Amino acid sequence: MQAEKKADFTLDLRGESCPYPVIYTLEALEGMNEGELLQVITDCPSSFRNVPEEALKHGYTFAQDPVKNGQEYLFYIYA
Amino acid sequence: MKTIIQTIFQRYWHPYTALILAGLLSAIYFGLTATVWAVTGEFTRFGGHILQFIGVDVSDWAYFQLVHLEGTTWSRPDGWIVWGMFIGALIMVLYSNSFKIRLPQQKRRYVQGLVGGIIAGFGARLALGCNLAAFFTGVPQFSIHSWIFIVATGIGTFFGAKVTKMRWWKGKPSLMRGAAAPSKVNKHVVQPYVGGVITIAYAALVIYFFASGKTLLGFGALFGLAFGILIERGQICFTSAFRDLWLVGRSLMAKAIIAGMAISSILTIIVIVLYDIPPITKIAALSTFVGGVLFGLGIVMASSCETGMMYRLMEGQVLYLTVFIGNIVGATFLAYAWDHLGIYNLLVKSGSPINLLDSIGPIGAIAATLAMLGTLYGLTVYWEKRYQRNMQMKRGAKTHAS
Repeated sequence: MQAEKKADFTLDLRGESCPYPVIYTLEALEGMNEGELLQVITDCPSSFRNVPEEALKHGYTFAQDPVKNGQEYLFYIYA
Repeated sequence: MKTIIQTIFQRYWHPYTALILAGLLSAIYFGLTATVWAVTGEFTRFGGHILQFIGVDVSDWAYFQLVHLEGTTWSRPDGWIVWGMFIGALIMVLYSNSFKIRLPQQKRRYVQGLVGGIIAGFGARLALGCNLAAFFTGVPQFSIHSWIFIVATGIGTFFGAKVTKMRWWKGKPSLMRGAAAPSKVNKHVVQPYVGGVITIAYAALVIYFFASGKTLLGFGALFGLAFGILIERGQICFTSAFRDLWLVGRSLMAKAIIAGMAISSILTIIVIVLYDIPPITKIAALSTFVGGVLFGLGIVMASSCETGMMYRLMEGQVLYLTVFIGNIVGATFLAYAWDHLGIYNLLVKSGSPINLLDSIGPIGAIAATLAMLGTLYGLTVYWEKRYQRNMQMKRGAKTHAS
């Protein structure tokens, strides 16, 4: 499960609780240039569902499937 | 078999599944015990016990008489609902191997959790219930106070969401250039075994309650466990139901909660009519509205309501320890302020308990409740659509500019 492209930015959200994972992810994506890749590391269980769903709804695409890494998830999202 | 285990223990359930089950179970619990699924009343009693322990005489506090501060938490069905919920959530966390001590990166979160928890605890008890007795299990009792509370919570969360978006409140994320390494994963999985041991011990306790004739404690312990399992597996979050609607136009949790209340109302009206159990009606007054607004504001500030806090604490999210403490402090302060600071005379005395069953009969009550829930559903969908329209316009503008 290697990212096809190296991430341009990483958002380390370990320890952050909702709603901040969603807010931070959307804000980071908004501030990036189109086509750049964001890696998100999060361990808040609610964010496992709401971060990918909100990123998709806001029109961003995923570079690959989410990776479950123990008690955390990794997301790779194109801005 | 493996896939069944995976679906139940390793994946989160759809919020609709969890909330409809919770709605059905809470109606059955009412049918069996003539009480409702609630938690903050017990939190207030915790506060009373702590005060007694440090030598404060609370015997003449009116609020503690109202919530029946008698016995210990172990001898009350309401107590076992709370402990059952903690244990149900914990064993699900352990079975799915998802326990982890999670410490917020930003210290300000602890202060936010404590302050929000105090405001939410105070507001919930002022309104005589939290998101359960004045909301999820209040609407199916046809008690008008829960209608007021829902509207007020909506208003409170709206302003809470505004606060969380402010820079000084939300803080800065750790956004870095380039890729970063994820955490090392421990290959030895022990959590499900710990969960198994706790399950066996708890099962023995429930059997003991029933075998020794403590039926109400047994029901409390059993239903508490089920509610704990449901809130954790469904990641049921009343805070996010409102807040995420205001923040990012996310409606899934709100719609699932409305569906759960509708199902619960239908089963409850059948139970009430068939078994002639009086519904639980609380005072509807100015205090319900003020309490609801404070509750809504507090839960968004604390990032969790009184039930969401419970499973998040069991997941190892340390932040919610401050929220839990805040909830108890806030509820206990309300108990003090009730008569000592004149809150009762100012906000509660003029109100009265109003139940739809008494005013418009069972058919009218269920019809009015379903119509109200349908309206809430419609408003939720409208708000989501409105948000999406605005977002597309914003994105369109961005694309054209670049």
